[in-house]
Amino acid sequence: MTPKALLGRVALYALLAAVTFLVCFPLVWAFFTSMKPKDEIFLWPPTLWPSTWTLENYRALLQGKDAYFQAGAAGGGQPPPSAFFLDWFLNSVIVTLGTTVISTLVSTLAAYSLTRFRFPGQRAVPYLALVGYMVPSIIFVFPMFLVMADLRLTDTLLSLILGYVCITLPFCMWLMWAFFRGVPIEIEEAALVDGASRLRVFWEIVLPTAWPGIVAAAIFTLIVSWNDYLFGRVFMNSMENLPLTVGVMHFFDGTHVDWGLMMASSVIMTVPMAILFMALQRHLVAGFGAGAVKG
Amino acid sequence: MDVRIEGLSKSFGSNQVLKSLDMTFPERRFVTLLGPSGCGKTTLLRMIAGLERATAGAIYFGGNRVDHLSPGDRNIAMVFQSYALYPTMDVAQNIGYGLKVRGIPKADRAEKVGVVARVLEIGQLLARKPRALSGGQRQRVALGRAMVRKPDIFLMDEPLSNLDAKLRATMRGELKRFHLDLETTSIYVTHDQLEAMTMSDLVAVMDQGVVQQFATPEEVYDRPANLFVAGFIGSPPMNFAEAELGEAAGRPVLRIAGRALPVPPQFDLSGAPSRLTLGIRPQDVRLAAPEAPDAIPGTVWMTELIGSERLIEVEIAPRLRITAEVRSEIRAELNAPAAVAFDMAKLHLFDPGTGRALPRR
Repeated sequence: MTPKALLGRVALYALLAAVTFLVCFPLVWAFFTSMKPKDEIFLWPPTLWPSTWTLENYRALLQGKDAYFQAGAAGGGQPPPSAFFLDWFLNSVIVTLGTTVISTLVSTLAAYSLTRFRFPGQRAVPYLALVGYMVPSIIFVFPMFLVMADLRLTDTLLSLILGYVCITLPFCMWLMWAFFRGVPIEIEEAALVDGASRLRVFWEIVLPTAWPGIVAAAIFTLIVSWNDYLFGRVFMNSMENLPLTVGVMHFFDGTHVDWGLMMASSVIMTVPMAILFMALQRHLVAGFGAGAVKG
Repeated sequence: MDVRIEGLSKSFGSNQVLKSLDMTFPERRFVTLLGPSGCGKTTLLRMIAGLERATAGAIYFGGNRVDHLSPGDRNIAMVFQSYALYPTMDVAQNIGYGLKVRGIPKADRAEKVGVVARVLEIGQLLARKPRALSGGQRQRVALGRAMVRKPDIFLMDEPLSNLDAKLRATMRGELKRFHLDLETTSIYVTHDQLEAMTMSDLVAVMDQGVVQQFATPEEVYDRPANLFVAGFIGSPPMNFAEAELGEAAGRPVLRIAGRALPVPPQFDLSGAPSRLTLGIRPQDVRLAAPEAPDAIPGTVWMTELIGSERLIEVEIAPRLRITAEVRSEIRAELNAPAAVAFDMAKLHLFDPGTGRALPRR
């Protein structure tokens, strides 16, 4: 390796290390903070590595016990916010899975028909869908709230699922549309000639080929609906119906911020997504290979 | 099983791709649909396969009408230009898919796939995915997928066009060999006249949605039915020249570039127009001494060496050039005087109005 190439390599690794640090530090900090007892969190100078390791924050979350709010400082007689943590977690899981299933299924079928059947507006739909996604969701949220109110769906998980489907479906459809356009139609014709029915062709030939695209669309939907705050904040009001993102905001009030609970919640929120992403990202790349047709 | 089509038409919107075709593809013959791109040959093949619906007309396989049947119910096999292998399946699954769809048990399937793989010499590739195969190997897998089901009709859509020249020459021979072994009616689409001439029992030359000539390769080459076929078949292409039909010493002659050539006796001149289009292949033109009675004098316009032969283009009248294919030892200086002579037995005559070849006795 020439000195110049070596220098370039060193600079590249330095840059990568810097970016990695920037991305990882908040996560690491959140994890360590969640493992510290309350009085160590505010220690000055701060400790990165907890001097005393404790699970008290996690215990408080999972058992619904919380020293400060329990004492009634927040409001008389009400259960503390941490008592709802498991509800919130379950709400987020239900809403996220529901949205992902609906969005992925509908967008896959819609995109397939957009690329394989001729009908008026066939070319315009994917582009219009993309334009729709470019509009910020805050523009949609209040009209949608009114619609949900008319439908008497506010404060239900279904309203969140429908809202997130509206936000994610257009982009997923565009993604799958772009993907299906790259799947040569001859593969399907070959299967038809081989004797398979249309449905069987879709199930056995098209879907496995489109798997990476479906995984990409599903991951996108998962992230959007798991991380959303806006819709949850506007559509929901009962404590037990909130999604996690909105719920954890109850860990601080005008006078008090419970960083220990906040950080423990953050870790619990991050871990499932991180595991899921690591499991799925392999599929994003695998199967993308060409070779079905000339290549 | 023979394939018969009757009054078959196909339009895409206002664009008529096939114009009321009537043809019979005889049983167990290898028939090629040959023509330039856009002539309708692939559309015809796809209609026989059932991948495209006819606008009008009927298709029969062995006397049974099949237009209403889906591709899977026609017992055909098709090799696509892009091979169209299933990317998520390995080679064995690709070949066996048609059997699986038809509910053949796994053990039988494996045995049949094994037999085909042995014939095609791809036995060692059965566990590979298509992306790990070379172009020639993919081609063989596509063939295997078609062969394994013992189809009634074997359809091929330019299957060799993605291969390099050397492999294409090898595969031409192999395809022909497979056809003879399978004894299946084969319909083959190509724009490559060499493939059509070397492999076919019958060639259908198509242009603008019409079959221009449907005959053996020899006949298509030696007796082209019209100007299109004459110009499309043969390399280098046939020379064409306008000629005036006249008479000299009581015998019919063709006047061209100031010369009078006797009309060969094989032509029936009754009803022929006074102006004709004369066609002669470069292989049937030789360089002649200028004083020879049948020589047409001119000047050398261009020469090209094409391996064992040389092409010499001689300008015999303003903007009228005749190409002669001669042995490569024969050299000619640019702009030097030269004369060409035609092998009159190989002459072609066409009616310039209709484009049709003049009838022969």
